[in-house]
Amino acid sequence: MTTSLSLQRLSWDQRRKLTGVLFVLPTVLFVVVFFIIPLLMTFGMSFYDWPLFGDHTFVGLQNYTDLAKDRQFLKSIDFTARYTLMITPPIFVLGFILASLVRHNIPGISIFRTIFFMPVVIGLGVSSLLWVWLLNDQVGIINKIMLDLGIVEKAQLFMARPDSAMAVIIISVIWKTVGFTMILLLAGLQAIPDELYESADVDGAGYFQKLRFITLPLMRRTIALALILSVIGSVLSFDQFYIMTGGGPRNSTISVVYWIFNNSFTYFKMGYGAAMSIVLLVVLVLLSAVQFYLLRDNT
Amino acid sequence: MNIRRLSTAALLLGLLIMSLAPLSAQDEPVTMTMWVRSINFSVQTLVDEWNATHDNQIELTEVPAAEFVTKMGAAVAAGEAPDIASIDLIYTPAFASAGQLVDLTEYVNALPYADDLSPAHMTLGEYEGRNYAVPFAAEGSFLIYNVDLFEQAGLDPENPPTTWDEVLEAARAITALGDDTYGYYFAGNCAGCNAFTFLPFIWASGGDVLSEDFSQPTLEEDPAVSEALALYRTMWEEGLIPEGAIVDGGENFTNAFASGTIGMAGTGAFGIDNYKTNYPDLNFDVTYIPGKDGGTASFGGGDNIGIPTGSEYVEEAWEFIEWTLSEDVQLELYAGNNQLPVRLSLADNEYFEEDPRLSLAASTLSVGHTPYSLVYNDLFNDANGPWLLMLQVAIFDGDIDGAIAEAQQRFSEIMGG
Repeated sequence: MTTSLSLQRLSWDQRRKLTGVLFVLPTVLFVVVFFIIPLLMTFGMSFYDWPLFGDHTFVGLQNYTDLAKDRQFLKSIDFTARYTLMITPPIFVLGFILASLVRHNIPGISIFRTIFFMPVVIGLGVSSLLWVWLLNDQVGIINKIMLDLGIVEKAQLFMARPDSAMAVIIISVIWKTVGFTMILLLAGLQAIPDELYESADVDGAGYFQKLRFITLPLMRRTIALALILSVIGSVLSFDQFYIMTGGGPRNSTISVVYWIFNNSFTYFKMGYGAAMSIVLLVVLVLLSAVQFYLLRDNT
Repeated sequence: MNIRRLSTAALLLGLLIMSLAPLSAQDEPVTMTMWVRSINFSVQTLVDEWNATHDNQIELTEVPAAEFVTKMGAAVAAGEAPDIASIDLIYTPAFASAGQLVDLTEYVNALPYADDLSPAHMTLGEYEGRNYAVPFAAEGSFLIYNVDLFEQAGLDPENPPTTWDEVLEAARAITALGDDTYGYYFAGNCAGCNAFTFLPFIWASGGDVLSEDFSQPTLEEDPAVSEALALYRTMWEEGLIPEGAIVDGGENFTNAFASGTIGMAGTGAFGIDNYKTNYPDLNFDVTYIPGKDGGTASFGGGDNIGIPTGSEYVEEAWEFIEWTLSEDVQLELYAGNNQLPVRLSLADNEYFEEDPRLSLAASTLSVGHTPYSLVYNDLFNDANGPWLLMLQVAIFDGDIDGAIAEAQQRFSEIMGG
């Protein structure tokens, strides 16, 4: 009763604002409980020597200064950067090609869209396990096909060498994620009015001219979104390495998140892991800011 | 009035306490939780037998071996630790030092056979002079070899290799049989497997990877380390080991030998049990892991059992632990199931008399080495740790000196905190 009475006393504008607050409240609560609070806890934790069990002690900035001396951390940054640089362009280009192929609403096209998108809906962990078995030297179908076609003389141990391990991981992740980039870019492509292309045709523009002067400029925001999501995903990559290579061979595929995981949950240096997570967060924010700046909408 | 109210309250409180008392006393059977890492030894059989014969029940959870310490640590931190935990003995010092296990010294002292318990397990179960765990499952490493392949290759299965030269010769002869037979096998991407089966090669030659007080790494100064690596490197280079070994993270640690195409491999009693039960046609025998020019050594492994801090049923949990150590259980449920008894005096028993292979396995317990380290996991068991990296760079890439130097440095860093 009191609530409805007090509500009635509010002006139309106040009630409208209150309604808005109520609508966003669940999301705000979710973000606060599952992001802001853990983030603050992680930040606090990064100033402690914090074993998984036993007492924790305040060590100030030591976890951060130790990072500079951690050779594996620096190696992991290098590896993660190389991985991101290697995997982002093919995902984007392939995603763009696929989006262009399935762009027009012709009968039956949704079957192709579904097929290309399907790997996205399974988890990365599941897809990594799937590839482990596809690539297995004893029972994997990929080795079987290559042997039967005479491409190789004996079953290949893909995970035995750093370069081949990296190559098959990149192929598996492209397979897994390209559908997502395709869907994002497809939405961007379809938002461009056909009239623009028609008038370009009238002016005698070819395919690449249309791409250069109509498609790409008008898709700036979509491209920015697709690239930022793709880069963030690569910088945070963990599952594929944990499952497919276990960081090997010779520790050549330990990403930054993998190293955070190892320190936190294998060596139980939770404070140190927290410090690395904070550094990674700052790097990601900077990376995203740079990307937003470079791909900003000038118009 | 106040006094009357107070006395009424006291009376009610007394009644309440009396009504609650039976719940916490022995009268009511309790259900305890127990965690065990997935090891070959059938703990479920043991627990089933206990549950069938006792009022207090145990709910057993098997945790994947590779995740045990993480899960246990997380559970303890969250206040949800089990009442009983069977822990890889290597980790007992780390758990005990962090105050995660109940002090069992009084209970252990009351055992009439305390001195008879596996010494490696008891040492690892101690922290600052107090006992925090007792042996639960015992394992010693040794060499297993395929008798049929030995005979085919013209080797004498009655006289298995006792030096590295003999190991190498036997491996060459067996590989020479062709038909995808290989002289030797080890899981090349499995850190723990090789602590268990490769370290004894070093120990048996009089060398070690850690100083006697376990405070410093001795990888660089001890020639036995590089010589043992060179032995494996030679076998790898000459193709005496199947190529798949390079990616084996432990999945094929026991399976490879079961295929019948492997001449020799390091294993433990779990191997004997597995091959006897699942591969009855496999004709195999066992011998000690040899040193360079003779000598033998073994890794004293297995599990310790303890009571995690926070358990409400310490008395009841100890009853179970004491029951597992009793002579009947050790003989019938351990030895009778191809499992090594954890009491030394029971190593010679009627079950093992029938199978001398198990007697040999049991005899490794009294000579087993086990490093005592709070950072054992980071040094030896971590899949991305310095131990496995050293083995791989030395054996697969051939850079023995570089591998050892790198490992020496990483060991020092980890042990220095």
